[in-house]
Amino acid sequence: MGSWGFIGLAYGVAAVAIGTFFVLLKRRLRGAAEELSALERDGSRRAP
Amino acid sequence: MERATRIAPSIGAIAAVILAVGLYLGLVAAPPDAVMGELQRIMYLHVPSIVTAYLAFSVVFCASILYLWKRDLRFDAVAVSSAEIGVVFTGITLATGSIWGKPTWGVWWTWDARLTLTAILFTIYVGYLMLRSFAEDPQAGARYGAVLAIIGFLDIPLNHFAVYWWRTLHQPSSLLRAGGPSVARAMLVPLLVNMLGLMLLYLYFLVRRVQLERVRHRIIEVRLRRGRRG
Repeated sequence: MGSWGFIGLAYGVAAVAIGTFFVLLKRRLRGAAEELSALERDGSRRAP
Repeated sequence: MERATRIAPSIGAIAAVILAVGLYLGLVAAPPDAVMGELQRIMYLHVPSIVTAYLAFSVVFCASILYLWKRDLRFDAVAVSSAEIGVVFTGITLATGSIWGKPTWGVWWTWDARLTLTAILFTIYVGYLMLRSFAEDPQAGARYGAVLAIIGFLDIPLNHFAVYWWRTLHQPSSLLRAGGPSVARAMLVPLLVNMLGLMLLYLYFLVRRVQLERVRHRIIEVRLRRGRRG
């Protein structure tokens, strides 16, 4: 592998790491927000 | 925090633009190094990554002290969020350093003081995150985590000065050194642009990650309230 191969590998690994973290964070955030709104909906139905 | 959450998309967009400019400067505009040739371009990613990781762990350190002092879970939310992002950037540092090491030193890894201390830093904060996720009592997890984060932070000055205190393969710092950076201007600019871009990306991730932590706290509150009501 030449110099540009190693450069591509380094930048590729970083892009995959950052991209994966970004996607997983978005997914976790969406999941938690959905769980919270379901709990609050459920709570407001039971409250009376 | 509400304001930070509102401006998060703008921070993310600015980070993306700066990183795109930094990529162009680092991969196209910067000249090849006289000794390392084109491989030097990996440094435009490797150095900003470790500086951003240091920033993330410094935030963990400060937030952990504040948590132990005030016992306010908002500080703990910042600490655990910043630690997670710091681990990602330390992982990138280790990976890009290893990829640079293979063609330069002939090995993917060597037990050099700087490399070993960076691996220890990574392991300490992975351990911190594991401790946090396995703790059954969130308050106890936050307390033990804060102590571990404060002790673990000592690895950073040790890591920075390792290249001066011991004989290492890793070159001394050319950026964070007494007397200012020793890098040529044509190479310093892409380095600083990428550093700014990654720090803004860190800030974006931090705001979003803290937002997640707040939603999780709210879920726990709602469940506890419901549990009390029976």
